[in-house]
Amino acid sequence: MSIVDIRDKIKEIIANVTNLDPADIADNAHFIDDLQLDSLSLMEIGVDVDYEFKLGVPEERLQELRTVEDSVQLVLQTRAAKVA
Amino acid sequence: MPIDSVVVTGLGLVTPVGVGRETAWSQLLEGRSGLAPVRSFDTSRHSVSLGGEVKEEIAPELRRLPASIGRATRLAVTAAREALDDAGFGAAWDDDPTVGVAMGTTSGEPGWVEEMDDRWIAGELAGLGGGFLQHYPCHVIAAHLGEELGASGPNVMLPAACAAGNYAVGYAHDALKNGRADVMLAGGADAFSRITYTGFARLGAIAPERCQPFDRHRQGMVPGEGAAILVLERAQDARERGARIYAEVAGYGLSCDAHHMTAAHPDGDGAARAMRQALASAKLEPTEVSYVSAHGTGTPTNDKLETRALQQVFGGRSSSVPISSIKSMIGHTMGAASAIESCISALAIVNGAVPPTINYEEPDPECPLDCIPNDAREMSVDVVMNNAYAFGGNKASVILRRYSG
Amino acid sequence: MEPVVITGRGALSPLGNAAQTAVAVAEGQVAYGPIEDEVLGRLDRSGDPEALRTRMAGRVEYNPREVFPGRNFRPVDRTGQLAILAAEGALEGVEVAEEDRRGAFIGLVLGTMFGSVHTISAFDRRGLEAGPKYVKPLDFANSVINAAAGQAAIWLGLTGTNSTVTGGAAAGVLALAQATQLIRDGRAHALLAGGSEELSYEGLVGFEQAGLLSSGGRVRPFDRDRDGTVLGEGSALLLLESQGAATLRGARPLGRVLGHGSAFDTSRGRDPERAASALERAIRVALKDAGSPVDTINAVFTGACGLPGDVAEAKALAAVFGDAVPVTGTASNLGCCLGAGGAFQALGLLHAFEGGRLPALGGFERAPTEVSSLDWCREARTVDCRRGVLTATSFDGVVAAVVLERAGG
Repeated sequence: MSIVDIRDKIKEIIANVTNLDPADIADNAHFIDDLQLDSLSLMEIGVDVDYEFKLGVPEERLQELRTVEDSVQLVLQTRAAKVA
Repeated sequence: MPIDSVVVTGLGLVTPVGVGRETAWSQLLEGRSGLAPVRSFDTSRHSVSLGGEVKEEIAPELRRLPASIGRATRLAVTAAREALDDAGFGAAWDDDPTVGVAMGTTSGEPGWVEEMDDRWIAGELAGLGGGFLQHYPCHVIAAHLGEELGASGPNVMLPAACAAGNYAVGYAHDALKNGRADVMLAGGADAFSRITYTGFARLGAIAPERCQPFDRHRQGMVPGEGAAILVLERAQDARERGARIYAEVAGYGLSCDAHHMTAAHPDGDGAARAMRQALASAKLEPTEVSYVSAHGTGTPTNDKLETRALQQVFGGRSSSVPISSIKSMIGHTMGAASAIESCISALAIVNGAVPPTINYEEPDPECPLDCIPNDAREMSVDVVMNNAYAFGGNKASVILRRYSG
Repeated sequence: MEPVVITGRGALSPLGNAAQTAVAVAEGQVAYGPIEDEVLGRLDRSGDPEALRTRMAGRVEYNPREVFPGRNFRPVDRTGQLAILAAEGALEGVEVAEEDRRGAFIGLVLGTMFGSVHTISAFDRRGLEAGPKYVKPLDFANSVINAAAGQAAIWLGLTGTNSTVTGGAAAGVLALAQATQLIRDGRAHALLAGGSEELSYEGLVGFEQAGLLSSGGRVRPFDRDRDGTVLGEGSALLLLESQGAATLRGARPLGRVLGHGSAFDTSRGRDPERAASALERAIRVALKDAGSPVDTINAVFTGACGLPGDVAEAKALAAVFGDAVPVTGTASNLGCCLGAGGAFQALGLLHAFEGGRLPALGGFERAPTEVSSLDWCREARTVDCRRGVLTATSFDGVVAAVVLERAGG
């Protein structure tokens, strides 16, 4: 899965939680500052990202996610760690 | 005192620290915790395992109900039997239209939806049968009580989640004042549930080892189960039949944050309004409150915002009015919680003592309260404010007062 | 005691909003029909042909993106969305800006049978399938039965008393009764009251497995050959206010709530005699509470929806009203809307106050053998309707009645 595919998938997850069109979600969108998400929605995105990409990362890592880019990086890093 | 005041004449309790009001009261006064690793379902895939289950076998003798009733109903019937006996009403009525039931719950009988889901996953949904509809919808707890006890007056279930017990007491109070019934059984019941536990675990809300309301290092709440029933009557009726009166239901207040489903309003707005309304309906001033039975779940947020709301209502006295959370010992028993707390509040008035908040070690600068740390306190209790808050921003405060008829 | 007036109404049913639904019901339109497997698939997500054979139900079709423009509706499940849409309708034209509603402490008393059993079940199944770590936090927030009332309060800024009432198919009437009492007692000035119920696969399965769904796919209230009910969905809410508050803001009342009563059948429907006497008691309490002798009542809107309990309801009505008062309802048209049903009955009665048109008891042909002396509304009819009674019988034994009066008496 390329970085573009990962980013698109993450935007799709965010779109499901926010009712936004994925095309309207910027690559650097901030969940709180730009998307005004509350704590439950933030958690929901973390759960869905973890589930979709089978990350299995500690809860703290998911709680740190604040932007689309954070999420993409988490997926890339986790995958790299698994390959290594 | 007006002749139509509503009084408490019977109490029934089923809690994680024991079954029966005397057992529960003495355990709570001794500061015993009823929290332990969960036994009713497998928590191995959760990162927490602490829960407040009722350990005794709960198998009340049933006069009319089938043995297939759900656990919450069994908890409720057990509590109701004790409360009726305590009030001197015997085991049941023979279909008395002057006796009503008002109950609260968070989940009703979630065991039946879990049964549906287990079957679904196993591909056996078609075998569910009629039991689901007969025993699941949450109203069945109140309906089962009405059937079993022969109470054919008003019968209502108010599923106001974790504030539901207080809603039920308020409803019963009004029903009696308005002559809709002569006796009301009011309370709450919730059974331990995989759904509830998993949800709170997912939110990261469950404390790993113990429940420490108002402590600086509190780590969360602990889901529990239980049931409590209060027998309520008009004071005149109670006096005429020579009933022992625990306390008067002096007033109550309901409000809503309209802010967030699971998080309280950052200023404690709805909670403060519920307290003020309760005081106004009881025609009491904050200075007259002897003891506050806290919602006090032990989550960092709840206890902070509850303190903020108390500060708004009690002003400078907020740091000195005695307040405790028995959730430190029994966990959060959901819809039963505020009903259990109302029972304990009534016992506090009669016994001249209040239970502690256990596991309290380090004061939290954000919760400057006299939370009756670790040891029960002997004190004269004339007026109790019992606070309860719920998902959906539902807030309910009930005020019990010493009856001096 | 504060008189309670009705100053607003809102609804969403398969037949449209409050006004459209009331007109369509009076015209005899039917809101339910065969639902496609594709719709069931949306309800269901996995489908199980063995567990559910019924394909007849009422389903509201709406596009959340269109009805909730510019706001994130994902946190609100279907029961909550329906409640919000009904509430918006009931508050339409109310001269209270959304920001001011907080200060006005408008509240909500919502009747529902299930809340959202779909949300609860989906939450639990996700945990079973994927592991507890992967359950949906947003679904957990809605797993409480009072979620819809809480969500509507958040959406609309309703900071007043917020209460959810269950009681099966009697929940809607019970909610109207509770709201009325809270206003009478001075505990609230303005409350939205009614019910919301979604159609769910889980609910359908529960009803089918209990043998309560019509094999013929038709709701036939009271009929001798009725064979069960058809589930519908929707939400309906009335805005109730103290007369003082309504007068102060110059609101035009649509009607008044005169009285309410409820009782419990300890046989929970198994003994038709006891069930009938419980409802008879509830109706008599409501009439007395309303100060309304039987001969002042011009119509009864029942909740009867083709279930075995219809007989008890008919017996109770016969005992109180004899054949002097026309008996009709809305379930022939809307199906059994469970916790929302009573609120739809109220809409029907308000419409009769205004247009004088009582809907027909569609599907009713022959009276049950046990009861003959009722004035069944076999056809829609025009009456001068000043006062009417709503009645409801739940499968759990809860029975309730409310008396309404048209504006101006």
